[in-house]
Amino acid sequence: MGDPEERERKEEGLRLSRRGFLGVSGAAVGVLALPTAAQEKALAESGIKAKVIGPAAVPISLKVNGKSYNIKVDTDTTLLSALRDHLQLTGTKPACGRGACGACTVHVSGKPMCSCMMLAVDAADQDILTIEGLAKGQVLHPIQAAFVEFDALQCGFCTPGMIMAVKALLDANPEPSDEEIREAVAGNVCRCGTYPRVFQAARAAARRMKSARVLPEGGRL
Amino acid sequence: MTTPFTYLEPAGLADASRLARQEGAMLKAGGIDLLDEMKEGLVAPEKVVRLSALKGMDRIEVKNGKLRIGALVTLATVAAHKQVREHARILAAAAGQAATPQIRNAATVGGNLCQRPRCWYYRHEDFPCRKKGGDQCFAETGENRYHAIFAADGPCHIVHPSALGTALAALGGQILVFDGQKSRSVAVEQFFALPSVDVTRENVLQPGEIIEAVEIPSAKGKKSAYHKQRERLAADWPLAEVAVVYEVKNGAADGVRLVLGHAAPIPWRCPTAESYLSGKKIDAGAAAEAARLAMAAAAPLAQNEYKVPLFTVLIARALMAAEKGEPA
Amino acid sequence: MSEVKLKLGIPGKYEERVVTLPEGEPKPYDADSKLSVVGSRHPRLDGFAKVTGQAKYAHDIRLPDMLYAALLSCPHPHARVKSLDTSAAENMPGVKAVVAAADQHVRFAGQYVAAVAAETLEQAERACRAIKVDYEPLPFVVDLEEARQPGAPKVFDNRDSNVRAADPTERGNLAEGFAAADAVVEATYKTQVQTHACMETHGLVAHWEAPDKLKVWSSTQGTFAARDNLARRFELGAENVEVITEYMGGGFGSKLGLRDFESAAVELARKAGRPVHLMVDRKFEHLSTGNRPNSVQVMKAGCTKDGKVTAWQVDSYGTSGIGGGAGVANPSVYDFPAVRKTSADVYTNAGPGCPMRAPGHPQGIFAVESMMDELAYKIGMDPVEFRRKNNSHPIRDAEFELGMKAIGWERRNQTPGAGPGPLHRGIGVASGRWSNVGERRNSRIQVRVAIHPDGGVEVENGAQDLGTGTRTIVGLLAAEELGLPVEALTVKIGHTSYPYGPASGGSSTAPGLAPTVRKAALLARRRLFEVVAPALQAQPEQLECRDGKITVVSDPGKTMDWKRACGLLGTTPINELATRSDNFDGWQAEAAGVQFAEVEVDVETGRVRVLKVVVVQDCGTVLDRLTAESQVIGAVIQGISYALLEDRILDRTTGVMVNPNLEQYKIAGSWDMPEIEAIMYDAAIGYNNAGVNGLGEPPVTPTAAAIANAVYNAAGLRMRELPITPWRVLAADAARRGGRS
Repeated sequence: MGDPEERERKEEGLRLSRRGFLGVSGAAVGVLALPTAAQEKALAESGIKAKVIGPAAVPISLKVNGKSYNIKVDTDTTLLSALRDHLQLTGTKPACGRGACGACTVHVSGKPMCSCMMLAVDAADQDILTIEGLAKGQVLHPIQAAFVEFDALQCGFCTPGMIMAVKALLDANPEPSDEEIREAVAGNVCRCGTYPRVFQAARAAARRMKSARVLPEGGRL
Repeated sequence: MTTPFTYLEPAGLADASRLARQEGAMLKAGGIDLLDEMKEGLVAPEKVVRLSALKGMDRIEVKNGKLRIGALVTLATVAAHKQVREHARILAAAAGQAATPQIRNAATVGGNLCQRPRCWYYRHEDFPCRKKGGDQCFAETGENRYHAIFAADGPCHIVHPSALGTALAALGGQILVFDGQKSRSVAVEQFFALPSVDVTRENVLQPGEIIEAVEIPSAKGKKSAYHKQRERLAADWPLAEVAVVYEVKNGAADGVRLVLGHAAPIPWRCPTAESYLSGKKIDAGAAAEAARLAMAAAAPLAQNEYKVPLFTVLIARALMAAEKGEPA
Repeated sequence: MSEVKLKLGIPGKYEERVVTLPEGEPKPYDADSKLSVVGSRHPRLDGFAKVTGQAKYAHDIRLPDMLYAALLSCPHPHARVKSLDTSAAENMPGVKAVVAAADQHVRFAGQYVAAVAAETLEQAERACRAIKVDYEPLPFVVDLEEARQPGAPKVFDNRDSNVRAADPTERGNLAEGFAAADAVVEATYKTQVQTHACMETHGLVAHWEAPDKLKVWSSTQGTFAARDNLARRFELGAENVEVITEYMGGGFGSKLGLRDFESAAVELARKAGRPVHLMVDRKFEHLSTGNRPNSVQVMKAGCTKDGKVTAWQVDSYGTSGIGGGAGVANPSVYDFPAVRKTSADVYTNAGPGCPMRAPGHPQGIFAVESMMDELAYKIGMDPVEFRRKNNSHPIRDAEFELGMKAIGWERRNQTPGAGPGPLHRGIGVASGRWSNVGERRNSRIQVRVAIHPDGGVEVENGAQDLGTGTRTIVGLLAAEELGLPVEALTVKIGHTSYPYGPASGGSSTAPGLAPTVRKAALLARRRLFEVVAPALQAQPEQLECRDGKITVVSDPGKTMDWKRACGLLGTTPINELATRSDNFDGWQAEAAGVQFAEVEVDVETGRVRVLKVVVVQDCGTVLDRLTAESQVIGAVIQGISYALLEDRILDRTTGVMVNPNLEQYKIAGSWDMPEIEAIMYDAAIGYNNAGVNGLGEPPVTPTAAAIANAVYNAAGLRMRELPITPWRVLAADAARRGGRS
């Protein structure tokens, strides 16, 4: 059994915490901040060269799947939220909110990133690729097709992130080893347990993408 | 939950430094750690200073036998970079095995060194621990399986999470700190600070100071190894991490630097073991004795006693791997 | 009523059974059934939607004017809410409605106390923090052992203690059993609390279309259960509540009922007069949406030297937090002549447990199969042989044979832990069980099959697909019955406006739906044949349909393609609604399944790596071999994760969960994967016309035990507590070497 005195001390601590002990409580700190223009002026007066963004919502342009979208976001809006809540591109999934599960993986300037751990304002004007940007109409990308064929999905909630992680791998490394495939999806959690099928699908997709590249010139498999 | 902030994009490093001195301002590079803290409600900066657009801080170069890596270089780049692999292979290994591929694309060298601890009491908004200005360490008698086995006097028992810190300390790296006017060079061991110095911080950076780059004497030709063990094999914080670098002179080890990660609130050097090894040919017996010496002062908490045998074997294995020239 | 002769069983053990079926019932599948679509490896029908991001989960629903909701939960493990002031929150930007929980007595840290709906999620979250709650903290207990002690803080004031014992059970003569034993083992096995950790968290989108008409998109395992619960809770007719679950991101037992915080979102929507989107965050998901209770199983068992278990005694207890249901399936799997069992639920101030994939089984079977292993080694008998001597299940016996071959059982260590160096490899075995051949009688399950004059076919049932492949098996079964390619059908599920479907709990979905789909499709096909027969100058019963062609069996020249045949319907589509028939007699209602695990143990670092798992699993008729294998592989992976990693950790002195995330609540990832060989074992079992047993649960039941037994075979270390972490392995090794443990 724990020491009652110690327990009381720790419990008291919890209460303090909830009373705003850390200074992070209900009142939005940002509300007290000066508007952009005032801050720009203050900076100019003090001789600091800096661009001021926010604290009020700012207009940005997001280039998603080859299309530009002009939206207004808060400075603390994540790319994930911008995609899902502003652009209604809900193929990218939220699951852990902390970059620990990879469900929200998208490509930013060609690199796989956790969109839940990236600010939308930081993603502005960069090329963003989401799961919605892979298929051409009814024609699946070879990775997507392989995921379906090898049943590399069950509930499907982690699947968009898995596919984007595999795509990033194959874009950079068309002939990955089994170890490289494992590492490529090491940041993606699947609760249904599809990993072995994901490995299979990734290998098959790599083979097929290679043949597709070889065929036009070589003319044979 | 996060709160909107004023996002400030400085034109240069000096501007960044001045902005960072302002009340309620925090620095942001890749932003992984900052966002994690904001989402948990641990911080709510009024101003965030965006470093990622600063010029010249994302370069890697070799000059005068020194490898210089800009603070904004991502872990992914460190892991894959030819010159890093050549001159500091354990740094490449540490970067390449940290976190996840997605995080490595965002997280930077500077951010990795400055990230706050992963102690689950610290990271939980409901625990007002010492590090957050409270008056107690919940881990001391609580759930401490992942906590420190050194620096038992606390008053905080975190382990430092930086994989780069462990490797850099073994490599004898320097951290270039810009203080607003000029840069100064701080040895990695001097950069990190124990909780007994200031429990609310993990390093010596003062407000407005910014890591500009790290500099590493080339370890090309030296023996080195980086070993770690995780509980979950995919993307997990290590239970134990060991980095070792030394030269071989006349068949014997020289200038040994043995550093443990996830053992203490800072990357933990093992001076007794290092001096024991100096001038010795490293074989299984010497490696085991060095490991024993390195663990002699360990003072585990109630749940992390396992780290002692674990480190003991990892140290011995790392030394033997380095001696045999196995891949980092 | 008609009598049908069936060939049931498995190769080498077939039996003829005559069963009586109601009129109109399709001939049940048996060992002689020639199936072309059912049993094939067919990719899931919703694969395209899921890999393109088009599949809309509850989380993805976006409605005009929709608000987002956030929850405020209590940080204290036990407290009374003295006052709760929402006025500041109500005046915050974007806030449209606030509700407080009805229960002002909070019994675990993380329990929901209030909810806010606002224009954005961030606004709702900020407003939650502006709610002022004055708590009166009360004494609490979160530790299982502490909670059992007399004088421990009481979780429920109206109970004498935190311990709720079940009636002991006893059969056979235990004393005689132990007297007859040549070997006796006493051991205590412990398992941890596991959370479901569904990738899509709990929640719903609520939309009041009219003051008495509610539409809800829910991440639920039971669309109709959700509908009925909502109707009751909001005093509506069930016909005025519509629940939609076209896709959902995992449930594993945790999404079977309507939760108080989900009702809160519906209430917020009513208050605000606008649709409300509530999906809980990861922390809340871990704390409040259920878990697999932990267990302590104190055991004593004996056997003869020729391998028959003679006595089995188990005293078990565990905590389901403030909930019940911490009982374990021990004894289980095997038949023991003398058994005595006591069990108790222990209340603690922790989030309530709830069904999780084979409730009670992975924990119970971990102890059962570990004990079987200990007994086998004690008498020096091959662990498989030992199990077969105590097993009466014919399928399990055959599965052992297959599994031994596939894993290379002869490669196991003859002497556990023998051999030089720190790395040790070994093989372990365990068997599982589950049983669900569907509700025996008076089922409400219905399936509608419509055949349209343009040749289109719709198959409808309102049940949901958890990711198991329900949509796909419905399609395959209908396609088989109609003689059409699956692609020619439209399968509509996950909507309470469709016919009644089962909640997906206890592996009931396939055995509930499969026979009903067959029946509805058969009825529809008969109707079509009646229309087509005259045109082919034949009697309806002389026709068959294959590959989209209707043909007179005795005169294959007389044929008509599907589309033309449907054209004969004129303007009246065929619309057949079938109700699930009662079960009939069968051959073997219990699913077995065996697993062999090969591991590598580093006794110096305590690291356990699973190298290979062979799983041989039966489920009666295999409906889709591809998705069935996926489900089995997935279960094994959850079992590995349970065996080695997962653990809900509560800080004992504050009662707060310290790892409520996906970073420190560790779920097996890519590098933790062994090679997994899944062998589906076909059996003709009867009971329902599809001969289907549930598959979701059984393969998760033995994995942890097989791994623990493999660790013993490899390293000679008997791991009696889950998860098998490096520190536990190191402690076991130290204890063996005579050091302290």
